[in-house]
Amino acid sequence: MQHPVFLNTRSVSVYFGLWALIAGVHFSVFYFIYFFPIDVAIADSLIFNGLFCAAGISMWYIVRYSIPDQKNSWNVIFNHLSFLTLTLVVWNGLSYTILSAIFSKNKVYMDTLMISIPNKIITGIIFYIVIALVYYLFIYYIKIQEKVKVESRLREVLKETELNMLKSQINPHFLFNSLNSISSLTITNPEKARDMVIKLSDFLRYSVSNNATSFTTLENEMANIRRYLEIEKVRFGDKLLFSFNLEGTCRNHQIPVMLLQPLFENAIKHGVYESTEQVSIEMDCDYKEGFLEIVIVNDFDPNAHPRKGSGIGLNNIRERLRLLYKNDKLLRTKVEGTRFSVFLSLPNTETTL
Amino acid sequence: MTLRTILIDDEQPARDVVKHYLKDFAEIEIIGEFTDGFSGLKAIQELKPDLVFLDVQMPKLTGLELLDLLEQPPLIIFSTAYDQYAIKAFEMSAVDYLLKPYSKERFTQAVQKALAQASSGIKALAPVQNLVKTLEENAEYLQRIAVKSRHKVSVVPIEEIIYLEAEGDYVMLHTKDAKHLKEKTMKYFETHLDPTQFIRIHRSFIVNAKFIDRIEYYDKENYAVLTKNGAKLRASTTGYKILKQALNM
Repeated sequence: MQHPVFLNTRSVSVYFGLWALIAGVHFSVFYFIYFFPIDVAIADSLIFNGLFCAAGISMWYIVRYSIPDQKNSWNVIFNHLSFLTLTLVVWNGLSYTILSAIFSKNKVYMDTLMISIPNKIITGIIFYIVIALVYYLFIYYIKIQEKVKVESRLREVLKETELNMLKSQINPHFLFNSLNSISSLTITNPEKARDMVIKLSDFLRYSVSNNATSFTTLENEMANIRRYLEIEKVRFGDKLLFSFNLEGTCRNHQIPVMLLQPLFENAIKHGVYESTEQVSIEMDCDYKEGFLEIVIVNDFDPNAHPRKGSGIGLNNIRERLRLLYKNDKLLRTKVEGTRFSVFLSLPNTETTL
Repeated sequence: MTLRTILIDDEQPARDVVKHYLKDFAEIEIIGEFTDGFSGLKAIQELKPDLVFLDVQMPKLTGLELLDLLEQPPLIIFSTAYDQYAIKAFEMSAVDYLLKPYSKERFTQAVQKALAQASSGIKALAPVQNLVKTLEENAEYLQRIAVKSRHKVSVVPIEEIIYLEAEGDYVMLHTKDAKHLKEKTMKYFETHLDPTQFIRIHRSFIVNAKFIDRIEYYDKENYAVLTKNGAKLRASTTGYKILKQALNM
């Protein structure tokens, strides 16, 4: 954070202007009320106020690193008390040394100097408190501004992600092709058609009833993905194979809703849609070093050049993980020959925004 | 009159509907079913059908890319689940297009159109005006180009193309290790390739900005673009201006 005095020319002139004003009042009192000689009045005012003006600037570094919170409030008080004492001692000591060296012959002034020490200490404490308060106000103001900015950006990103989620969930191509399959099944196998209508309805219900920040169990999410893949299997028959391995405790792990769906859609899009060979999609999960690791592997044809840009789905997921877990290294991909793998590592504790 | 017909669609249920609806048409004889673009193309070339039911989204080669490679296309009825491709189907003079899922009435209409065109020998184009808007909203640049040599069909991703060169009625696509001839105009590529990446620098050249190595004087007035594979392409005065703009020079 920048020093508040040196933010811009205005802040510099306000700070030094105020000190000039104080020095002026100080001088006037000495010159017009106590009738000190002009050189004494000027020197006394300049040295005492000039030195505190400098001390006030350096105070920033104490304030900056003494932000009170629940844990270190004693620390903050200790910092300030020691710096205040140091300031008062150095300020008075230095001023006294300089002034007494110049005006040693002026007996009246030397006496005044000695007598006014308690007054100077009180003034110094007041100066110190006022400056520290102004610095703290500045810090809180900046922090609040930053917080407001970050929060509005976060909300924006969340809205975007939610919108992208909705867009990717109800893929029109998938929807219309499924409806066409149903239309066909009503001729060849009405019972299967009814079954598919129910699966499609359940799938759509799951997709629209959740938002970007809700969580569900892995088991629940995979049940919806099974529905999705079974619908695709009606369309593609033996060309599509899939198997899940949901081991013991994994199935109850809380994961963000619809997090895995786009990964399976990608597997279908780049695997099944673009290949003439059989495509198998496998899912496995396990705990590793406190993380739930989910692996999704699919076959694909490395010679098929996608007609549309890929990677949008993966970026969406990365963005969601970054928002939910404050970590953007939770998703990795790997290509090995004709096998594409996605690795997801999910922290054990779920966080909600 | 019998129309020898083939179905090309990668989904069994989708082909089942067509077959079921076609039972009512004695004039139509199904001579084959295919499940991807390559085998479909081969079938059309070998079996020479009169009518093809063609799905748009398929592995290897889309229905549109397939039709684009045919010199004398048969009657085509497109089907797609998503109408973004519809307008292109008309540009390629398809008989009709069907949006999945479609009714039997709509299907019958399309087949009758095909029968009428087969008996009259006149290819009538379906109306396009109400679809122009769809085109503008879904304007997308080409991502890949299907090309064919004497023996095989291949798909060239556009990011592998270094430059395009006019060759009479054709355009030559130059990649790092091959050249492909495509029966299209320079104007077509100028409008269908992303202009921030592909720059028309001359009447005869469109260059991929990614592969520009340097630009130097060709003669007193003109410049030449040198590509990373060592080709030297002349830039016209207007072409050089466009190039400067595109590269922020």
